[in-house]
Amino acid sequence: MKDFRLYDISDFVIDEDFIRWVHEQREEDSLFWNGWLQQHPDKHLVIATARRIVESIQFKQTAIDGQTVELEVNRLLHTITKEQVKPVSRKGMVISFKRWYAAAAVVLLCATGAWYFFIRNNSIPPFAYTTMVAAKQLIEHVNTSGKPLVLTLPDGSRLTLASGSRVSYAHTFGSADTAKNGVTRDVYLLGEAFFEVTKDPHRPFRVFANEIVTKVLGTSFTVRSFEKDTTIQVTVRTGKVTVYAQAAAASRARSEIILTPNQQLVYERSAQKFQKVLLNNPAMIAPPVAEKTLVYDDAPLDKVFSDLSKAYGINIVFDSDLLKKCTVTADLTNESFYRKLVLICSAIDAHYEVIDGQVVIESSGCK
Amino acid sequence: MLNNDTQLEAQWLQRLQQNDEQALAAIMRKYYTALYNYGARFTSDDALIKDCIQEVFISLWQRRENAASILSPRYYLLRAVKNKVLKSLHQHTIKTGSFEPGEAYDFLQELSVETLIIDKQLSDEQAMVLRKTMSQLSKRQHELIYLKFYQHLDHAQIAGLMNLSRQSVYNLLHETIQKLRSLWQAELFNQ
Repeated sequence: MKDFRLYDISDFVIDEDFIRWVHEQREEDSLFWNGWLQQHPDKHLVIATARRIVESIQFKQTAIDGQTVELEVNRLLHTITKEQVKPVSRKGMVISFKRWYAAAAVVLLCATGAWYFFIRNNSIPPFAYTTMVAAKQLIEHVNTSGKPLVLTLPDGSRLTLASGSRVSYAHTFGSADTAKNGVTRDVYLLGEAFFEVTKDPHRPFRVFANEIVTKVLGTSFTVRSFEKDTTIQVTVRTGKVTVYAQAAAASRARSEIILTPNQQLVYERSAQKFQKVLLNNPAMIAPPVAEKTLVYDDAPLDKVFSDLSKAYGINIVFDSDLLKKCTVTADLTNESFYRKLVLICSAIDAHYEVIDGQVVIESSGCK
Repeated sequence: MLNNDTQLEAQWLQRLQQNDEQALAAIMRKYYTALYNYGARFTSDDALIKDCIQEVFISLWQRRENAASILSPRYYLLRAVKNKVLKSLHQHTIKTGSFEPGEAYDFLQELSVETLIIDKQLSDEQAMVLRKTMSQLSKRQHELIYLKFYQHLDHAQIAGLMNLSRQSVYNLLHETIQKLRSLWQAELFNQ
């Protein structure tokens, strides 16, 4: 039996039993560890830190669905029963693979992100617009005109409602205690709208769009959530918004996603998943003061990236130690955001990736 | 629980030795996702990974008379898939260009920070720090912690898979944990 009293944080982190408790959350493990912590209350901080470390180790996993596995199992059984003794050459394998796949239409489900810790609730209450609106006394605007409709809300915020969309809010908009934690400005949306929200830190502005809620203090953004769409999209133009799923709103471990300018959140309704992406053609949010500022002559790379980051409000992640010797000479005034990245990367022999709504620079450094 | 798993696997291997195809199928079902994900760390070629897994199982079938002597099927299969994938990539690049066998493979997939932001309400700042810490880890450190935390291999098995000594595995692991540790410790004390 291991003596956990002698364990240090690092010992817990690499202990198989400990990892299993954090990863799999089995009841018998929780029973053991909670009991152990009661006996050793001085170990709470050690355990909490070790837990955080193990939790922070997550890899992108590709989910292989049962159907794909069965297809592969059948393929294997087919091969070994047909070619009992003969070893199979690699070439033959590949050809048979392709032919075989042409016959069986395969749908591969890929999931980005490890959803081990995502607790799925099967009995999700319906958060459709109609159910949300039904129980409340609301003012409703419906846009059937075929043109965008501009509305002004009681708090001065502006809302551009797309054609075929509807929006509702309470008579008491912005004055009643709608949430436990204070006064909020709540709007219910079906369809698409662009919001320009008046700043008011004491009264968060919330947009309920089917399953998701977008919460802001003051900013401009678009929400698109038609009943027939399989996704809900939130796009931020200025400021910062947080988005969360209605189903999770009650639980303590509510997961909020923070969106910054030029980022778009796509919520897949059937899978209940969020994905953060960058817009195809990001717009500058804060144009450089003088035109000259995006012209560089032997400028240090971190200066260039920090200018770009500020101009577009997009986070650029790079290893500043590794790239500290890199310099850039270029005129980036008129290029699009991605063209700028390509130019810089080719100059320093690096490449970039867009991950989670941020730009990540990969490079082995400059000499 | 763990013991039941081990017993079940031993039974499968025994049945495999007695020419039971269904035992082979059962092993494949159990390990497919793990093997695919490990293969995906070296290449993004879906068909190639699937072909390699097929070949690994075909050769397991061809050597089934010794199947019962396999102690850890997980380790055996991971090792075989890695070798097969690297070999195929090597053969492929011989035709097209230069390839340094051994260290030159990419450990493609990175630690994913975004799931943490989604699941654990990690703030932007914390995510930035974590991402930076992660980006300072080498590819070998990534592979090491993947094998340790996702495939649950022991140190000897990791050493075998990565062509390292057990001491190097321990050192590398220790160094990695230290980096993460200083990050979270600072954060918890500041709360």
